[in-house]
Amino acid sequence: MAASPFRAGAREGFLGFLPLSVGLIPWAMVTGMAMISTGLTPLQAMGMNVIVFAGTAQLGTLPLIAIGAPLWLMVATALALNLRFVIFSAAIAEGFRGADSPTRWFCGHLLTDGVFAHCVEKMLKVDDARWRLGYFLAPSLWSWLLWQASTMVGVFAAGSIPKHWSLEFMASIALLVLLVPMARQRPMLVAAMVGGATSVILRGMPLRLGLIVGIVAGIGAGFAAEHWHGRKEVP
Amino acid sequence: MSDEATLWLAFILIGLATTLPRASFIVLGSRVSLPPVVQRALRYAPAAALAAIVAPDVLVVTGDFVPLNPKLAGIIAAVAAAVLWRNPWLPFIAGMAVLLGLRAV
Repeated sequence: MAASPFRAGAREGFLGFLPLSVGLIPWAMVTGMAMISTGLTPLQAMGMNVIVFAGTAQLGTLPLIAIGAPLWLMVATALALNLRFVIFSAAIAEGFRGADSPTRWFCGHLLTDGVFAHCVEKMLKVDDARWRLGYFLAPSLWSWLLWQASTMVGVFAAGSIPKHWSLEFMASIALLVLLVPMARQRPMLVAAMVGGATSVILRGMPLRLGLIVGIVAGIGAGFAAEHWHGRKEVP
Repeated sequence: MSDEATLWLAFILIGLATTLPRASFIVLGSRVSLPPVVQRALRYAPAAALAAIVAPDVLVVTGDFVPLNPKLAGIIAAVAAAVLWRNPWLPFIAGMAVLLGLRAV
């Protein structure tokens, strides 16, 4: 039975992403619990979860919602936390060559850190547009479903899971596991080390801007290392 | 807590502040293309961002830089598992086991 390119891409994208996606579960549950403890009703919490669909932006704006901060401050905070997605969006955009506008909006809405890190390499390399779309959509839709379901568990289980289990640590493990194959290239490793160190040093900056500065510094360092190295290791 | 309508307006605005950055270049596509040098530089964005997100979580404990702590040990175990074996679940098992084990000691 010959599978369509879309299905073949979807299958490969999904199977590769599946183990990494477990990192979403605790992250989503923590977000669900945080929304309830901020004072949102379950309906409001799930409404926010569906509309925003971004753990970092949700967790980052909850303290502002709690104190009734002005809307512009919430938007500015969310934008600062989401600035990295402009970089991700630009980096993966080539992978959507051949896709129409509604598809692009839909895929853009579903773009998350984990899906980006998992998909970007093959999205740029593979020629078949249908294969690429499947390869992106399968893990993206799975992320969406898993995120909504796990957040709902957190919303309704708020308060009954022992905090000392530190399940949210699995999110950090998932992100670092994504980093391991990248770091085999020297300039990538330099980018990661500078990005991580800068982010730690600047952790006191308001609105988590240290994260943005860390990303920019890491990109600069990786680029510099590439030139330094005579671009030998870059494919 | 702000009133109901303001709250939902806030959700929508925060949602826009999320979807617009995410969709930006994916939607603009070939109409706006970044210079090749920028594109090359952007290849380092994921590695830099992943490290920048994770590093504070494993190196900072309640606001202070703490180079040796159970989370870092857990991350090292998880990375070792990812480098040495192909089993995709093992890093999670190793990382959580080391973290909870060290905390229990």
